[in-house]
Amino acid sequence: MSPEPPLLSVDGLVKRFGGFRALDGLSFHLNPGEILGLVGPNGSGKTTCINVISGLYAPDGGGVRFAGRAIGGLPSHRLVHLGINRTFQVPKPFLSLTVRENVAVADGYGRNPRGPVDIDTLLATLDLRPVAERRAAELNSAQQKMLDLARALATGPRLLLIDELAAGLNPAELDRVAVQIKEIARSGVALLVVEHLMGFIGEITDRVIVMNAGKEIFEGVMADAIQDKRVVEVFLGGEDEG
Amino acid sequence: MLTYTLLAGLLFGLYFSLVGLGLNLIFGVMRIVNLAHGDFVMLGAFLAFWLFNLFALNPIPSLVVAAALFLLAGLPLYYLVVPRLLRARDPEMLSFILFFGFSQVIEALAAIAFGTSERSIPGGALARAVAAGAAFLGVAYTPGPIALFGQSFPIAWAASGITGTLAVLLVWAYLYRTRIGALTRAVMVSREEAISTGIDVHRVSAIAFGVGLALAAVAGVLAPFMLGSITPAMGVDVTITSFAVIVIGSLGNPLGTVLGGLVYGVSYMFMQSYYSSWANLLPYLLLIAVLLLRPAGLLGRQVRRA
Amino acid sequence: MPRLLRHTLLILLPLVAALALAPALYGNHLLLFNVIVFLTLAQGINIIYGFTGYLPFGYVGFFGAGAYGFALAVMHLHALPLVALAAGGLAALLLGVLLTPLLRLSGAYFSIANLAAALAVLQIVSNPALESVTKGPYGISLSGVFDPALAYGVALAILAATTFLVIWLRHSRFGMALQAIREDAISAAMAGIDVVRGRVVAWLLAALVAGLTGSVYAWYISVFYPETVFGGEITIFAIVFALFGGTATILGPILGVVILYGIYNAIGISAPQYFQLIYGLLIMGLVLFLPNGLASLLRRRGIDVP
Repeated sequence: MSPEPPLLSVDGLVKRFGGFRALDGLSFHLNPGEILGLVGPNGSGKTTCINVISGLYAPDGGGVRFAGRAIGGLPSHRLVHLGINRTFQVPKPFLSLTVRENVAVADGYGRNPRGPVDIDTLLATLDLRPVAERRAAELNSAQQKMLDLARALATGPRLLLIDELAAGLNPAELDRVAVQIKEIARSGVALLVVEHLMGFIGEITDRVIVMNAGKEIFEGVMADAIQDKRVVEVFLGGEDEG
Repeated sequence: MLTYTLLAGLLFGLYFSLVGLGLNLIFGVMRIVNLAHGDFVMLGAFLAFWLFNLFALNPIPSLVVAAALFLLAGLPLYYLVVPRLLRARDPEMLSFILFFGFSQVIEALAAIAFGTSERSIPGGALARAVAAGAAFLGVAYTPGPIALFGQSFPIAWAASGITGTLAVLLVWAYLYRTRIGALTRAVMVSREEAISTGIDVHRVSAIAFGVGLALAAVAGVLAPFMLGSITPAMGVDVTITSFAVIVIGSLGNPLGTVLGGLVYGVSYMFMQSYYSSWANLLPYLLLIAVLLLRPAGLLGRQVRRA
Repeated sequence: MPRLLRHTLLILLPLVAALALAPALYGNHLLLFNVIVFLTLAQGINIIYGFTGYLPFGYVGFFGAGAYGFALAVMHLHALPLVALAAGGLAALLLGVLLTPLLRLSGAYFSIANLAAALAVLQIVSNPALESVTKGPYGISLSGVFDPALAYGVALAILAATTFLVIWLRHSRFGMALQAIREDAISAAMAGIDVVRGRVVAWLLAALVAGLTGSVYAWYISVFYPETVFGGEITIFAIVFALFGGTATILGPILGVVILYGIYNAIGISAPQYFQLIYGLLIMGLVLFLPNGLASLLRRRGIDVP
């Protein structure tokens, strides 16, 4: 453990929907430049975790600290200004705006600490340069996912939450995304990655947390996770229930 | 006075349940907003007016005629408009604007056909029809106000209360005691899943649409006795009232309408009795208040955006 | 040349110049004044609907609030017209602030709640119990400040400011942020946009525009009834004009007013119900066949509509 406090620390986080506890005392931390995977069966609370950290929901208990300050319950745009951003499982671009305008909005309002981004370069690194003047509605879903990522990166995040970026991509696209994610981490950004593809998670993450029913049941490297009895049980059990 | 107000409120409440029921059924099944609902009520009222004046047909049999006619008219209307709407990106908003235009068309056509003067049906007509019905059933009834818990009420209020109750029971039977009703409830829960299980969603929806219009027409036949004189322009107010009723009850849950109707009817009567000069404000304020404070209604569904 | 300047020179200047010269060439000044009123209101609808996606079915509430704010300031405070004009704008702004909670509602619920709010304001203003303040249903006469030539000029200035506001929104960062909110509020927040503030600002701007227009309208006609300035057809006009031309553009609402209001006056339909019929059909046709207005037709042919 480094003496420096982690960039993100989540402590006993609880989120309820009616009587259902989507998050039930989840705790973990994340350091700059680290890639942390969040895995678990459907409904185990992974996306809810991202939604709470990114300000979509206020937590019902526990705390989230980012760069030393408590951020639970702050509105999303404030969190963006502090340096937190995310992508969405189903990408949500501004459909009637062009690709360039999509990124320009985030560039204009994101308060990127490194100043305005070079939109063309950003689009080029995510293979969106050729479609820069198209409306987002005309992109295919893989391109929309990349646009979602571009929108997030334009705000210059220090913490990036990635919700199933890889789902539905072909193997060639997957390899490219893996490289891109590692590249982002190398620049010092902390990444929290939710993903179903275990091979992909194993390849890119430094560490994983396995969740079940809103709680952490394993923390460590992916190779050990798949040997862990409780983890195996949860995943097999999950398949039984469909 | 208190008992009277409360009872009158409950009778009106049952009628208001009937007024809102069709709107809520259509919303529940199709997730489209029939902003022309009040205009169908208005058309029902004019149908009763003309049946009475041209054929001396009493309002009670007119209920059946109106229900049948509007049910039949609803089916082609559904296929003409709704499937097209449901394919759009934002059907709820689009249907809202479309039916707003439709409401204008109906109101204009009604004004051209019937003129803009206020019309009414003499209350005695309803009393005679009820007396005939009572005689048929072997119940003693002399035309005139009826007594309920020591209070006396116009016969039209009782007839509307009974019609409202019957309509709710029939809708319940349709939804919970018939095969098409079971399919309709499946569509209400999830349209996508209903499609994937092979339910003919359009047939189910078209019938629900027809039933919704029939309910509006039935409410319309009684409107001359419950809402005062009728004009082609009355639709907007009826639509707003219906919205207040179903939002208070529960959007998309037809039977929740009853709760909304009763709450609305009782508050309406209390306003009439104690603050009559401001009673007309009630539907608007109630609608806004419930949308803001209890957006899911007393029973139901999410309407907020953020 | 930046687009802001270019569109100001090529669209705003000719528009204002034409309307400034028109009274010298054309005798029906009331018609010209109404054109200015609807150009302004259609751009007001454009600000709130085109740029944020909220369709205000009760938009006329701000217009009426402005008219009454103006009238009350003149009647009770003996304010000069220009001061009273500010009072009218302020009245609409206050109503807008009061109604900001409505922005929490999504799509159709917002629209219906806004309609209810406008009707509630009408009920309050026209209530005989408030006769000493608002003259209730008996109407307002402001003959002491009657000055149609000056009022015309002021109305033109309000139109110019509103049109410039739309040009600015079309080309500014803030306008693009509003469009981002309209497309997807959650993503907009994740682009760093304060969604609530953006919506409230657009809402209040739209309210102010309608309030000032209502004020200058009250000044120009100087004798009016509550229904004159709270009439639902004012909202319908403004919405249809804006939708017909195409929202979120500068030219769309202008084209809508010029074409549709032009046709309306050229035909010279005297019976309001025929007018209502045609507009109802037009709304339905727009939703079904041209949901994005004339501008989308041109855009499909590769012509960029400013």
